[in-house]
Amino acid sequence: MSLRTTIGEFRDSREMVVNLVRRDLKVRHRGTFLGMLWSLTTPLMMVGLFYVVFKYILHASSIKDVRSVPFVVYLFCGLAVWNLFSVGLSGATGSILGSSYLLRKVYFPRAILPLTSVLSALVTFAFEFGVALVAAIISVGIPSWRIIWVPLLVLMVCYFTYGMGLLLAALAVSFRDVVHFVGILLQVWFWGTPILYSLQFVDNHPGFQFLLKLNPMTGLVVGFRNVVLLNHPPSVPLLAYDLLASTVVFVVGAVVFNHGQRMFPELV
Amino acid sequence: MGESAVVCEEVWKSFRIYHQRSNSLKERVITRRNQYEEFWALKDVSLEIPHGAALGIIGSNGSGKSTLLKTIARILTPNKGVVRVDGRMSSLLELGTGFHPELTGRENVFLGGSVMGMTKAELDRNYDGIVEFAGIDSFIDMPMKNYSSGMYARLAFALAISVDPDILVIDEVLAVGDEDFQSRCHQRIAEFRRQGRTIVLVSHGLDNIRALCQDAVWIDKGNVRAYGKSNEVVSAYLAEVYRGDDSRPAEEGDELRYGTREVEIDDVVIVDNGGIAVNAFTTGESVTIRVHYRAHERLVDGNCVLQVFRTSDMIRIYGHSAEETGLRPVFDGEGAVEVTIPRLPLLKGAYVLTIALQHADTGHVWDCLDRSVPLMVFDAPTGRPPHGVVDLATTWRVAQGEG
Repeated sequence: MSLRTTIGEFRDSREMVVNLVRRDLKVRHRGTFLGMLWSLTTPLMMVGLFYVVFKYILHASSIKDVRSVPFVVYLFCGLAVWNLFSVGLSGATGSILGSSYLLRKVYFPRAILPLTSVLSALVTFAFEFGVALVAAIISVGIPSWRIIWVPLLVLMVCYFTYGMGLLLAALAVSFRDVVHFVGILLQVWFWGTPILYSLQFVDNHPGFQFLLKLNPMTGLVVGFRNVVLLNHPPSVPLLAYDLLASTVVFVVGAVVFNHGQRMFPELV
Repeated sequence: MGESAVVCEEVWKSFRIYHQRSNSLKERVITRRNQYEEFWALKDVSLEIPHGAALGIIGSNGSGKSTLLKTIARILTPNKGVVRVDGRMSSLLELGTGFHPELTGRENVFLGGSVMGMTKAELDRNYDGIVEFAGIDSFIDMPMKNYSSGMYARLAFALAISVDPDILVIDEVLAVGDEDFQSRCHQRIAEFRRQGRTIVLVSHGLDNIRALCQDAVWIDKGNVRAYGKSNEVVSAYLAEVYRGDDSRPAEEGDELRYGTREVEIDDVVIVDNGGIAVNAFTTGESVTIRVHYRAHERLVDGNCVLQVFRTSDMIRIYGHSAEETGLRPVFDGEGAVEVTIPRLPLLKGAYVLTIALQHADTGHVWDCLDRSVPLMVFDAPTGRPPHGVVDLATTWRVAQGEG
């Protein structure tokens, strides 16, 4: 299918996308007393847990270089970005398999399903970001003008997530293993991203640091924390690499998805 | 806008029937290849549906008609060949596509509507009508999981018939089982046709196909068996279905069409006052029946007979002929006899017409379409319509203290 028709179809489906995102969010929180607040519980619990582990059990600081920022705020900030990626990706991976009732009954550009998952995660992220921002203002003061980097960084996270999501969603239709695999992948990936620790923390392990920098999420998480908490600019070389890596992933994902999508209604 | 709303060119579609489909990597590695049989559901199907036309798809169960419908709706992608669609298309294959039980009726109207391709503005406009039709006013803000199945179906159906695309792809099973739904569904399709929209319809009701679609395609084991005027395709299909069927009484004159054919009925076109050919009307409308004939020789003292029957019990409601009104047409070459009913007095229901061309004096039949031209009648949309067969246009008065 030509790019132009695809774009046209996406434009025509925007109301459907909005409604599907709205459905995801409503269904997740309907009937719960705390509603949207629940989306904060997981990151807050993780922050609490890691705080206890590092402060009282390991007696160590994994962010020696940024003493000015409380560890919990530092951690929460990184987690917010990470959750955007991990929630979006795990949602996107199952998005085709979970929508057989739509795929068999109506036509729409199939690629809006993983997009819907990413956008749902984005809404939750907006909420977490608000909390992170308040925490940042209270603990380290009002962020500098560098905060204008945030929309670009968030957009790049979404771009990368969507590309990965297209790839894994299409693969999951043929190999249901992918759904389980993503859970494990994200766990490993979490530790391979400087969320609990700073990039400088591994200065003594240049090999490991190099590996970290190959991870596209590294530049995005570090960049996000830099502009929100530390008044540093993001690392432009890392972002340039991220953009390149994300584009490669997106192209591969789009090709695999486009190739597989004609069989979706029959296989799901 | 292109010439045709839908074009199918040499469409082939196969399904793989897996003996045991391996969904996991392990199985895939061990067995290497899936064991499957290729099943061709569509074989070289070519169709062209012009803008504003209605195509009915008929065939027995498992013949491939649903596959064809889904292929036209672009839900399924053909293995070979192309399907081209020109215009905004909506497909109605089941009720309540996209509904989520946790969401309220109101939320589902907007969710399901957008899934069917309706815009927010359209839904806002139709919302009151949908809720009114569904008759679930006080439940509209409750989660749909609390709805009875009847309430669910009413809301889903009300939403479904409010779609307003250029091209409608519809499987009539969505209205099966409820007479009111079915009648409203047909009414909506007829309305659609008059607005010049394009319709692709799958129905098991052959009369519905003949009444609502001017063209039909008969799919048999994935092949196009017949494609053309719906009357002819349905007749060919029926002939095949009943061939070799001893249980059907083989009476004299059982054929839907008989006569010596010195003059032939080419086509019977029923038009509304706007001139659009559709065999579905509301009570009180002006209806014109145009009988196109082709005479193989010059025939004088001709006659054209019209009879109207109610389909359910074949009671003759009306019968009249040109000769009885003092008209003796001469059939020569090609022409048409026109019968106009200025105000259709029939009430909601299914009717069939008999049209015959015969000799005015001897009654010798040249060509007769016996109870085979369908006519559907719907209630006029206003007020509470009367029941029965004929609208007597009564006026009522209550007199007190006069007797």
